[in-house]
Amino acid sequence: MGNAMKTIFLVDDSATILLSISAMLTKAGYGVEKASNAEDGLKKMSGGVKPDLLITDLNMPGMNGIDFIKEVRKLPALKFMPILFLTTESQQSKRMDAKAAGASGWIVKPAKAEELLAAIKMVMR
Amino acid sequence: MDDLNSELTGVFVQESREQLAEMERLLLQLEQEPSSRDNLDAIFRAAHTVKGSAGVVECDFIVLFAHEVESTLDRVRNGEVTVTSELASVLLTCCDHLGQLLDVLAQGPHAPTPEMESEGFVLIGRLNQLSGTTSPTITESKVNVSGGGPMSTDNWHISVRFGADVMKFGMDPLAFLRYLASLGEIVGIETLADTMPAGKDMDPECCYLGFEIAFKSRASKSEIEAVFAFVRDDCTLHILPPDSKLEEFMELIQKLPEDSLRLGEILVKIGAVTEAELVEGLKRQQGAARDAESSGEPAPPLGHVLVEQQVVQPVLVEAAAVHQAQVSEKKAKEARVIRVHADKLDRLIDLVGEMVIAGASAHLLALKHGKGDLVEAASVLSRLVEDIRDSALQLRMVQIGETFSRFNRVVRDVSRDLGKDIELVLTGGDTELDKSVVEKIGDPLMHLVRNALDHGIEPADVRQARGKPTRGQLTLNACHDSGSIVIQVMDDGGGLNAERIRAKAVERGLIHADEPLSEQQIINLIFEAGFSTADSVSNLSGRGVGMDVVRRNIQALRGTVDVVSSPGQGCTFTIRLPLTLAIIDGFLVGVGKSAYVIPLETVVECIELRDVAGDRNFLKLRGEVLPFVRLRELFVVEGERPPRENVVVVRYAGQRAGIVVDQLMGEFQTVIKPLGALFSHLKGIGGSTILGSGEVALILDVESLVHRCADAEEQQSRSATSSNRLLSAP
Repeated sequence: MGNAMKTIFLVDDSATILLSISAMLTKAGYGVEKASNAEDGLKKMSGGVKPDLLITDLNMPGMNGIDFIKEVRKLPALKFMPILFLTTESQQSKRMDAKAAGASGWIVKPAKAEELLAAIKMVMR
Repeated sequence: MDDLNSELTGVFVQESREQLAEMERLLLQLEQEPSSRDNLDAIFRAAHTVKGSAGVVECDFIVLFAHEVESTLDRVRNGEVTVTSELASVLLTCCDHLGQLLDVLAQGPHAPTPEMESEGFVLIGRLNQLSGTTSPTITESKVNVSGGGPMSTDNWHISVRFGADVMKFGMDPLAFLRYLASLGEIVGIETLADTMPAGKDMDPECCYLGFEIAFKSRASKSEIEAVFAFVRDDCTLHILPPDSKLEEFMELIQKLPEDSLRLGEILVKIGAVTEAELVEGLKRQQGAARDAESSGEPAPPLGHVLVEQQVVQPVLVEAAAVHQAQVSEKKAKEARVIRVHADKLDRLIDLVGEMVIAGASAHLLALKHGKGDLVEAASVLSRLVEDIRDSALQLRMVQIGETFSRFNRVVRDVSRDLGKDIELVLTGGDTELDKSVVEKIGDPLMHLVRNALDHGIEPADVRQARGKPTRGQLTLNACHDSGSIVIQVMDDGGGLNAERIRAKAVERGLIHADEPLSEQQIINLIFEAGFSTADSVSNLSGRGVGMDVVRRNIQALRGTVDVVSSPGQGCTFTIRLPLTLAIIDGFLVGVGKSAYVIPLETVVECIELRDVAGDRNFLKLRGEVLPFVRLRELFVVEGERPPRENVVVVRYAGQRAGIVVDQLMGEFQTVIKPLGALFSHLKGIGGSTILGSGEVALILDVESLVHRCADAEEQQSRSATSSNRLLSAP
């Protein structure tokens, strides 16, 4: 575990969400990396960014969240990294798809700060 | 933090406006090519982003509304709902509504107005209606239950078996236990490794552990369940409340509002069962029902299944079932509606009618014998009969709204056929009238509506040229007015063309080319038999059924129809109908030896006949001229005029007139007996009735009498020598 600052990687196409959640996470003492689409996120992670947790949107223009995390799980260093989806979609079948692709969990927007932080604590090693 | 909040709101409002603009553009495109998948996805994403971002800025009213829009779009995307132009237009309206909600948010920390809220609800209702919303289908993987017996203790008992793949999803079983400990105290824990395979078969990336946990906490069941939310689908989880919690649940059941909830809903509402548990229970019940069907046994009740599932104590299920029974009992008491065959009602009305006559007869006899107590008893009886009559008639009263709402479809279809954009506005739908009238008014109304759609409201380009909104408006209105029902069909079209009507009437030989007629008189010609102004007979109106048939149908209901037209502004057809066809309050008058009944609702006052100017049929009433008609002359009643005559002042549709009679005999309840076909051509008589004495009295048709007076007045004032003086003295 250690006391080193944990880093959370945030991927969302909405500027509102990126701004608000990164502010919230920073305040809670996490380091934050951001990307506004899956391609960019993937590039950064392949390039060696190794976060402790990935939080990503599901519906994004370009590569969608599910394809995105399938690619992420292929990176050996990130095989066991917790991945949370942050999305308004709560449909069960989507959830199953996400699970099959390797997601750890699912947070339905709108999530209050406490809920989000609780979920993060829940999955963070 | 406040600065961040206002900055966030600003970013959100701006971003969402962009999303909405995009959504609107895409929706319009979607209407053109409903099958475009990319387009649909993009629309969905826009709604989705608005909703998600709204959640972040904690703007609940936008979240709620956007959620509904998104759900509908999702169903469209999944192919469960097809895109119709109607759906597209509702979605566009939803975009507008979202824009308004954004305005509210941008203006500061206000909630939307109740009007906006109700508008939102209406839109959501339409969305659900168009997308045929049902409960979502849930495709959960099969869950196997094992172990975890109930423990008699004051702690929660949590029994969890993790799925083998839990670690592959980036989860650490220990993380859940740590998190659980943040909600309370883990009093006891037993780790179960009974599924652990032999060393050579073990996959180090898999999890083979289960836990039995005694947990002390004030947290609710759903809060505890939420700890396992991310593994809920892949693990076996039983959470049994501590016994001390039971009393709390029981109390909650007692306090529940008296809505008709299902058993499962009650248990979820008080928190004894979580929604996930209920879903699972229902699925098991369904499975059990299928098994039961094949074996011919009844399906197990849900309560039974839930107890078996070890998620709830039997005593709670029992309490919930009792509550449910109490509520449904109460509901049954509240809404007691009896469906009665219409014939039975009609028979009742008939009998009440006979009773009215018999009552009048008894009253008359009592008066004749002059015995005080008998008269009193008869009076009481009469009053009761009157009440019974009113109640009986009330039984047949139905709201006109249902008839009105049928026209929604008619207007939609017809306007589409005609390529016009027409909006139907319905007002006064709660106005009640006799069932038999409602049944018969449908056809004439239909004709008027079709006519207005076809001939009244102009095509969009003409409307634009005239500076009117391109969308036409047709209004159906109903209201009560002095004992009648008034139904209006109003359009905002071009109005009636008096010149064309006149030309047509001359062509058809209805009038002479040089006949001096007022504009209103010309317009009224449309009700004459054999009149139709449509240049081309279209599919919709002009099926050989003219306005004359409309008028005849309405007259058959003892009603009238008239029209007011303002060129370029539209025209209004007004139908007046009696409240009921069967019984009226009448005013009995006598001329010579004959008795006549004037419908009481038309009577304004009674005065003595004085100050008559020569042979002209006018009198001055408080400075105003009142035309009158002498019944003695009209019906050629024999005998001398009495020294003192009376005038009954009546009013119909705003016009007043006097009816000169010999005697005033007072109010009288009367059953209308229709006149036979033989007498149908008689003007001025609307029906007949039987008096208490057994004599027949004629019921006056006040409308035609008032018109006669008005016509006579006009004719006399135009030319004293007119050859057509209907009511002048012989």
